[in-house]
Amino acid sequence: MAAEADVAPAGPRSRGPAGRAVLTSPALRLVARRLLLAIPVLWGVTLLTFVVMNLLPGNAAQEILGASATPAEVRALEIRLHLNEPFWIRYGHWLGGVLSGNLGSSFTSGQQVTSILAQRLPVTLELLLYAFLISVCVAVPVATAAARRPGGIADRLSMVASMAGLSIAPYVLGLVLIYIFAVRLRILPALGYESLSQGIAGNIRSLTLPAISLGLPIACFYTRLLRSDLVEQMQGEDYVVTARAKGIGPWQVLTRHALRNSLFGLITVIGLNLGTLIGAAVIIEQIFSLPGIGQVLLQSINNRDVIVVEAVVLVFAVIVVLASLAADLLYAVLDPRIRYGHSAA
Amino acid sequence: MATQLPDTLPPGGAPVPVSAPARRARRWTVDPEIVIPAAVLLVIIGACFVWPLVGPVPPPVGGSILNAGLPPFSPGHIFGTDPVGNDIFSRILYGGRVSIEVGLATQLIGIAVGGTVGCIAGYRGGVTDTAVMRVVDVLIAFPALVLALAIADGLGPSEVHVIWALSFFSIPAFARISRAATLRLQGQTFMLAARLSGTRGWRILLRHVAPNIMPQLVTFGLLGMGVAIILEGALSFLGLGIPDPGPSWGNMIALGQGTLSASPALVLIPSVFLFATVLSLNLLGDGLRAHWGAR
Repeated sequence: MAAEADVAPAGPRSRGPAGRAVLTSPALRLVARRLLLAIPVLWGVTLLTFVVMNLLPGNAAQEILGASATPAEVRALEIRLHLNEPFWIRYGHWLGGVLSGNLGSSFTSGQQVTSILAQRLPVTLELLLYAFLISVCVAVPVATAAARRPGGIADRLSMVASMAGLSIAPYVLGLVLIYIFAVRLRILPALGYESLSQGIAGNIRSLTLPAISLGLPIACFYTRLLRSDLVEQMQGEDYVVTARAKGIGPWQVLTRHALRNSLFGLITVIGLNLGTLIGAAVIIEQIFSLPGIGQVLLQSINNRDVIVVEAVVLVFAVIVVLASLAADLLYAVLDPRIRYGHSAA
Repeated sequence: MATQLPDTLPPGGAPVPVSAPARRARRWTVDPEIVIPAAVLLVIIGACFVWPLVGPVPPPVGGSILNAGLPPFSPGHIFGTDPVGNDIFSRILYGGRVSIEVGLATQLIGIAVGGTVGCIAGYRGGVTDTAVMRVVDVLIAFPALVLALAIADGLGPSEVHVIWALSFFSIPAFARISRAATLRLQGQTFMLAARLSGTRGWRILLRHVAPNIMPQLVTFGLLGMGVAIILEGALSFLGLGIPDPGPSWGNMIALGQGTLSASPALVLIPSVFLFATVLSLNLLGDGLRAHWGAR
């Protein structure tokens, strides 16, 4: 414990033991702290979006009316959409709306932003969830098999394969998969989306190729991470020595003890990684023409539809912030050292 | 104690003293994990930047429609020609220039701006640190793709604009890494010694912090270069990358998507080069990290 206390200040997040008595539940304090920290971040994100969209040449009125419109027509529409008002007033108006739960409606279609999100977000979330399941279902068994004998044949094969998978661009993987499974073998559709209401089999089939293109590169990333953590745990940790001394077999120690521990680390990375995943999903949606949130984003940037862009960006940022919070919380709940308020140096 | 001392010496007399630089140099040149990817990268870079200057390479644009759609291994066009009649080998070389330039430039901007900001924040601490890291948090929570799209869309597609747009990915990432690395140095004795002997802050940053965090920034930059090259292609897929006639590996792949079933080679050839480059960058980054970590 004394050694831990010496080490603790080196970590950027760790605090001294004095601060620990403030709140009894460290997990609860963590949530409060993180939610408070998230507010300025989310506010910054919306402001940045507004600034960037404002700096773009042209505005929604010009985009809606097209090149043939007279300046007077554009002017009239600008006034109707309140685009002639100064930047701060428009931003304040929007922010006030959001704080009272009103995300506004699209300049171009007039549709409520909430209904656009309700329509498009499930597609993207389904794709992300599917990709996430693929990545974890590939990474955990492969990493465990690799860590069983470091330097062995399974280890080397999986390390080479995962390095290759990490280096392949998701869109290249997508095109290769389309070529193999849709063009050559004709067993999976290349483009388009079938919603869940149209049938669960068709829905899964239509999302399989995009989810693999999205999930496989991340699976490779997780595999390498999990494998190196497992190897480290198996080599040096006291609990591994204890378990081995009790007569538990190495495979059992690996899957029951070390894997449980290493998964904690993976959870944090998964939470932090979600932002990258969302960015990649935009491109994958474009390649496979999935009617997800990414398409809405691209269209509304093109149309200078600030209200919709803001809403999509805000949803993305909230997902990223919440995922990273959820990862930390899950970590705190699962790790007894943090759950019971001990230092986890 | 004195009697035990000889036992600690290796058998066969005193070890031959090897100076640290010599030992480092030997390991550099022997370690295949560093040499092989570095060699592949050198070949690719040499081919892209030097070969068009000295070899018989046709121009990447303005090909004759009479030569359109030649298959690979046609006479005079080793990779064939695209539907407009441009030589694909030439487009690979010129496109590689763009891809490598974009990758390198975004990482250099990231190291220069993000690295500086991060180590100042880490070194100064306090309000500076909090303020800088909040901004970095915003940039990281912000879907950088949106910013990249907006920049590319607003400024119009061009190589320089793509570099600006992609720098928004690299700057906050470098700032985080450089800050964390600087914080780790803060407790070290040499930092304390430098400060106690009255060295000015900027001089400490330049002479003590920068050389120590550089290995981490460089290894991260190599991995980041691969990511930037991939992202450049992603922007092309959205129509916001390098504008059409000028080649880049990314826009060659994106353009080839339309004729994927008829002529997969149009997608496959640039993909292979993209893959080989990114793989070498990743391997080199990993190799260097292991090398520097073990030192």
